Amino acid sequence: MKGLSQRGAVARYVVIAIAVIVVVAVIGVLWIVLGPGPMDFAGGKTVALAGYHGPDPTGVPPALVQASVVERGEYLSHAADCQSCHTVQDGVPFAGGRAFVLPIGTLYSTNITPDKQTGIGAYSDADFLRAVHRGIRRDGARLYPGMPYDAYTYMTDADALAIKAYLFSLAPVSASAPSNTLVFPFNQRWLLSAWFLLFSPDRRFEPNTGHSPQWNRGAYLAEALGHCGECHTPRNLFEALNNRRKFAGEVQSGWRAYNVTTDSGSGIGGWTDDELTRYIWAGHADGRGTASGPMGEAVDLSLAHLAPDDVAAIVTYERTVPAIATPDLPAVKATPAPASHKQGVPEAFEPRGKQIFEGACVSCHDWTGVSPLTSWATLIGARAVNDPTATNVAQIVIAGTVRLTPHGPVFMPAFGAAYSDLEIATVANYVIARFGSKPSAISAEKVAKLRKQGAE
Amino acid sequence: MTRLQINGEVRNADVPADMPLLWVLRDVLGLTGTKFGCGIGQCGACTVHLGGKPARSCLLPVGLIGEREVTTIEGVGATLAGAKVQKAWLGVEVIQCGYCQSGQIMSAAALLAGTPNPDDSDIDAAMAGNLCRCGTYLRIRDAIKRAAASR
Repeated sequence: MKGLSQRGAVARYVVIAIAVIVVVAVIGVLWIVLGPGPMDFAGGKTVALAGYHGPDPTGVPPALVQASVVERGEYLSHAADCQSCHTVQDGVPFAGGRAFVLPIGTLYSTNITPDKQTGIGAYSDADFLRAVHRGIRRDGARLYPGMPYDAYTYMTDADALAIKAYLFSLAPVSASAPSNTLVFPFNQRWLLSAWFLLFSPDRRFEPNTGHSPQWNRGAYLAEALGHCGECHTPRNLFEALNNRRKFAGEVQSGWRAYNVTTDSGSGIGGWTDDELTRYIWAGHADGRGTASGPMGEAVDLSLAHLAPDDVAAIVTYERTVPAIATPDLPAVKATPAPASHKQGVPEAFEPRGKQIFEGACVSCHDWTGVSPLTSWATLIGARAVNDPTATNVAQIVIAGTVRLTPHGPVFMPAFGAAYSDLEIATVANYVIARFGSKPSAISAEKVAKLRKQGAE
Repeated sequence: MTRLQINGEVRNADVPADMPLLWVLRDVLGLTGTKFGCGIGQCGACTVHLGGKPARSCLLPVGLIGEREVTTIEGVGATLAGAKVQKAWLGVEVIQCGYCQSGQIMSAAALLAGTPNPDDSDIDAAMAGNLCRCGTYLRIRDAIKRAAASR
């Protein structure tokens, strides 16, 4: 009898333990699933666009209101940065095929030129809206959220259809993207309907009456069109945006999209409006470094094409995003390194890195980190050299920088083919020790991984 | 019209602001002593002085120079360090094919102007970005030391 009741007690404990685990797991999943939307931080009251009494925060800037639908669509497609993902390097714009290397396989962007067979030429207006707002292809299959329909869902029908009109004005290109190579179960597109239900709000932008018209315009540009959060907001267990940590930074395609919250140490809280405006518009602000990699591309293909008032609106909006600190990012060092190569870094620290730096880097970046050629090549003050993971410094050394800015070309050679993983690691560590506020210790193995993630 | 101060003279050039200085020097102003090597700031053949500091003219947009004085190989002999370096270069017979020579002399002159008695590590730090396809590096080092020791 006694043995039986003991066994009963054990069974009861097991049941209780399992119940606790299940409850905790359910709460955990609910915590993730019921996370806030991208604009919920703002508080205040939102109203349907039709019921909003302020100036229309959607559409094109006033100067373009009278323009043709194709011209309006061109502006909006720049603002939504369609071209960047839907174009391979040196390829025909919008013809697709760009690879996104993920841990679960490789995803390829599609051809969105109006070719009837391989592009979107057969899409009706309703088909196009369904794809942009809800991530559903013309044949009914689900799109992977690499296409940021969780952001584009906030776009008005009129704006989405203006973009369609612009895309349909382009020459059709016959180009089929390679097939995705995702592993099971991620290759099962039907599973994405669950993702969609949980993480894509499927509703249009609603102005917030608690904020200024300029803020609302900025919110529309940053969320419905620019989809800043797709790179700058951390992702949760299900690869959806974790807006509890909105804009606190994330690694995307092997590059680190830095914290752009109003945190003063690790974010952009210490930047002046002028610096922020210049960086968004030109991808460079004196003393704050130069955008390269995916952000350089976002500037040149998208942000640089915005009207000045629109850039100012994005700055207004960004200034209200709550500060969240990124613990591993120190405050940026603003003072130049010593002019003598003998000072600044201990002699025994990465001697091979110093040797590479003096041969390949000094002529443009100088021992001080203040470029004698152009402030665009000045390293002092840049977040990348104040990142102890050395991720972006290594990526820039590997891939170089080729930017066609409104201010002329900006160029740094790519050293990925010239140097080994170990050499890139050692020069990155030397650069960060010399110009940053906290040393790094990136390894050759990490550089090898970054090469793969950054590769197209 | 871009106004430049080159080797103590004012020169005007009708060129786009994003044209690299090297193109302006060679193709517009006819100062062909400065050489084109790699075009990506990796070989040093195009080195000039900008406000006394060495700069790779192939990557320097002419619109960014402003009031800074440009010195090229044609003018460096008028500076004390430049004259010493040129004399030592002849004395040691540094050059072989000579293509990198302008850039080597410009980098060496800038080094001596800032560090009159450089040790080997100073020479490495200043000269590593100047390649010599003939491999005359030992003579270059020798000539820099001789120039430093000369009066």
